[in-house]
Amino acid sequence: MSNKVSRRQFMSYTLMGTGGFMASAMLMPMIRFAIDPVLQSSDGGDFIPTPQKVDELTETPVRVDFTIKDRKDAWYKSDVANTAWVYKDGDTVIALSPVCKHLGCTVNWSGDESHPNEYFCPCHGGRYKKNGENVPGTPPTGPLDEYEVKVEGGLVYLGKTIPNTLV
Amino acid sequence: MNWTTKDMDTYLQQKEYIDTLIVPLLKVETKPELLKNSSSSSEFLMYLTTFLETQFKGRMMLMPPFIYTQSTNLSTFSETLTVDLADMPFKHIFFITTDAQWLSVEIKGQVIWLPSIPLESMDEKLRQTIIEDQLRQVLPRFTEVWST
Ligand code: FES
Repeated sequence: MSNKVSRRQFMSYTLMGTGGFMASAMLMPMIRFAIDPVLQSSDGGDFIPTPQKVDELTETPVRVDFTIKDRKDAWYKSDVANTAWVYKDGDTVIALSPVCKHLGCTVNWSGDESHPNEYFCPCHGGRYKKNGENVPGTPPTGPLDEYEVKVEGGLVYLGKTIPNTLV
Repeated sequence: MNWTTKDMDTYLQQKEYIDTLIVPLLKVETKPELLKNSSSSSEFLMYLTTFLETQFKGRMMLMPPFIYTQSTNLSTFSETLTVDLADMPFKHIFFITTDAQWLSVEIKGQVIWLPSIPLESMDEKLRQTIIEDQLRQVLPRFTEVWST
């Protein structure tokens, strides 16, 4: 997520090195074609509307699905289904990324019966507190990322993921 | 993990955690009257495996699909696959397919067969629900081998 190559960095990679000039002339069109959608989505910083009403949120995280249109991924160009765990802390809406900080599986709130009030990662038993803080002694070494949140017309909008600010 | 250079780098460093290989087996029909169905199952398999990969990225390596046409000899195909896949140190191998023929072919690893569901007429939300339902049904197959 954070290690996307910016257009400028990308240019300097291809232009560096011996023969870089020739190679870049040949490779640029092909690579640009492959990488462009990625660049575009990181340029925007747009907020994406979700169906989640703010009044219906409680202190218990709920799963909110939203879709990013037209991402080039997998075998085909497709819309990407995305998920966030969203709850209210006082009046603030908090949205956490479900992507495990160990190796990237999707975590679930109350996913493990013996630890009901935590996020659980089914892959190697990673656990996180409600605010995303990783439980020591489980594989993850950092807290879950946060989404930028915006409320508009009573609905939750989600932006980019940022490092956790709550822990 | 996807079969991309970025994910492969992670895999090569974290082999002991990523111990499960997912191999999509995709039958492509070439008879004109079957083209529509064939593309529909291809889409279904793509959605399902993509979703599976996002859920279990840190434990699974999703291979690109192995594609064959209707006259392919599956026994030979599976023999070759079995031999070649064994070069990789995965503990668990799962083949995922919508082609029921695989249920009667001998292959090293587990075959997960799912009937193809035509997703093309569904809106996003319904499609997602269906895919998740399907996944929930096969989930025990994975958790079972992981817990032993
Ligand atoms: S990927 Fe979550 S614990 Fe390993």
